[in-house]
Amino acid sequence: MQFTQICDWVDIDAASAGAIDRAGLIGAWVNSNPNTKGVARLLVAESKGDLSVRAYAIGPDGLIDWGTADVTVFGSSPASRVAAGFTCRYDFGFAETLLQGMILKGLIVLAQFHSFKDDSNRVAFFVREYFALDHGRF
Amino acid sequence: MTQTLRFKQSSHLDPALSDPATRTLNADKLIGRWVNTNSETQGIAEIVIQRDGEEFCVSAAGVGADCPIAWPPTRARVLANLEEEAGQRAVALAATFEFGFMTAETYLRINKGVLVIVLFSTFRDGSGRSNYVNREFYYRQQ
Repeated sequence: MQFTQICDWVDIDAASAGAIDRAGLIGAWVNSNPNTKGVARLLVAESKGDLSVRAYAIGPDGLIDWGTADVTVFGSSPASRVAAGFTCRYDFGFAETLLQGMILKGLIVLAQFHSFKDDSNRVAFFVREYFALDHGRF
Repeated sequence: MTQTLRFKQSSHLDPALSDPATRTLNADKLIGRWVNTNSETQGIAEIVIQRDGEEFCVSAAGVGADCPIAWPPTRARVLANLEEEAGQRAVALAATFEFGFMTAETYLRINKGVLVIVLFSTFRDGSGRSNYVNREFYYRQQ
């Protein structure tokens, strides 16, 4: 087994190897910052075995629906079978955005990487915000 | 003549994104050799970040079975940081290490003098290992 750090050298039981349990990611996640100028809400849903994200961002005149993007799911270790994070990409033509989410203490910490492809000369930038699961219990 | 900017969120219109100074704001805070705060880590033991003009290069050493495993130097993408973190706003870096059997996508940023690395590892070798995300902290080696 190849590895570049010893934590990646693990015994994998063939019987347990398989898909990661993604239940912990599914739901509506709301930005904890009411004054955000970025992503306001994430809807993570599973359909026919595929996980997708639908993002809504704050625009000058209200929410902007980014549409859906396919999600790659990550565990917390090479032996883990429970979701601890995800990534997805949006290509808007004039810009690309990579979202990297990581579950920490029940929150999604969402890192956003924005790169511009137009001739506006805007610099690529990074934002990190926190999202809580809108559980509807209280 | 003014240019109409396209956007998908309000922050795409932030005037700071058109300010060249934003591109390298406090970039020197990232430069140097960084050592994992966890002496028992089984992950990346240390990180070296070097700068050549506006370009950054990241190399690392993973903890191995007998000795450190050198990760090859990789050019990093510089990302302006629009956040204020304890008044220490500095650029962040994104670097991808390709090993063939595995890809490690990292982003690195400074928070209160600590280098925070988030690493997304994707295995491509059919070993049955899960892709995973990990976060570790590093202090500057003087």
